[in-house]
Amino acid sequence: MPYPVSYYMLLASLPHMPRTFDVEHVPISRLRLEQRLRMLSARDAGTVEQVQRFWLWDRQHAERTDQEVREEYDRLMTAIRNPLVRNIIAFRMDVRTITSALRRRRLGMAPPEGVGRWVDQIHRHWDHPDFRLIREHPWIPALKADMEANVPLQAERRLLQVTWNRWTRLSDDYHFSFEALLLYLARWEIVDRWTRRNEQLGCRRFETLLTEALGAHAPSHH
Amino acid sequence: MTMEEFLIFGLGWAGIFLPTALGAIGSILGCARAGQAACGALLDVESGYGRLIGATALPSSQTIYGIVVTMQLNRTVTSEAAPGLFALGLLVGSALLLSAVLQGSCVASAVNATKTKPEVFGLAMVPAAIVEGFAVFAFIFAMIIAGGIPGGTPGGTPG
Repeated sequence: MPYPVSYYMLLASLPHMPRTFDVEHVPISRLRLEQRLRMLSARDAGTVEQVQRFWLWDRQHAERTDQEVREEYDRLMTAIRNPLVRNIIAFRMDVRTITSALRRRRLGMAPPEGVGRWVDQIHRHWDHPDFRLIREHPWIPALKADMEANVPLQAERRLLQVTWNRWTRLSDDYHFSFEALLLYLARWEIVDRWTRRNEQLGCRRFETLLTEALGAHAPSHH
Repeated sequence: MTMEEFLIFGLGWAGIFLPTALGAIGSILGCARAGQAACGALLDVESGYGRLIGATALPSSQTIYGIVVTMQLNRTVTSEAAPGLFALGLLVGSALLLSAVLQGSCVASAVNATKTKPEVFGLAMVPAAIVEGFAVFAFIFAMIIAGGIPGGTPGGTPG
């Protein structure tokens, strides 16, 4: 008989998530988080690995064709059984599809093929400012305004905020369970994504200051 | 002994021991939950270990209430007393079991909340104390009602 997983112990061993993702550091380092996740059973660890692989795929800024995205989405939805993981992936892909549709419409292009629940709705209401999705996705007008104002950082922050709010709301329903852990990891992923972005900005700022201070003697950076 | 008598006396005796058995099951589950949360929290805090582990013993009291009710119900089982013994034992035992398990969850949440804000420890334990209050109600009224079941003697020894 396998040793039963104690979500009570695992979740109590993780530091609290901050109220917002806009913080300087992740509450727990990746290394330490991986150490704690070793308490999971093989089945749960497999599910966590699936969702972590999706986040890694989602983070890569590689150019992908619609066909590739659709194939990945179909593969994930066939492979994954956990309802919350499916929800996490489906919501993220919905956000991607809507964002892509807003960008393409702004550039005067045709509707994206996209994936997820709202593809048909977007095609049907292509000319409507929010694709008649305001009830399900009230953030669309604000994101559209960010895009029109050409403030990509604010748009990115808004998208992370939308996802963060959703996971925070959902996590109110789960305590000391596998679902609570998944939602913790989902929010950790957002904080990590944001703090890494800040690190990159910080590095660039440091290089600029260094160049200014050293002038012609500054080392070249790659 | 006929099958009917076997059933009646069996249920009567079960009723006497159910408060202890169910209370103990509840305490086991409740203390385990709270204890696991406390062990997890130990990995994330730098001090206050004793307080965290000490709090996990709170769901033990239901076993003690169960033992006292069992002693009060303990009497010679007759066909008149058996239904009352079973009904009272089962109901008070269930209340003790549920309160212990959920008190364990309350303590686990309190332990988790205390990790980053040690000053809220007392306040965080209030929900667990409220749950304890309901276990006490069930215990006291079981003691009162037990007196009305035929065959009882003062002190709860078999009559």
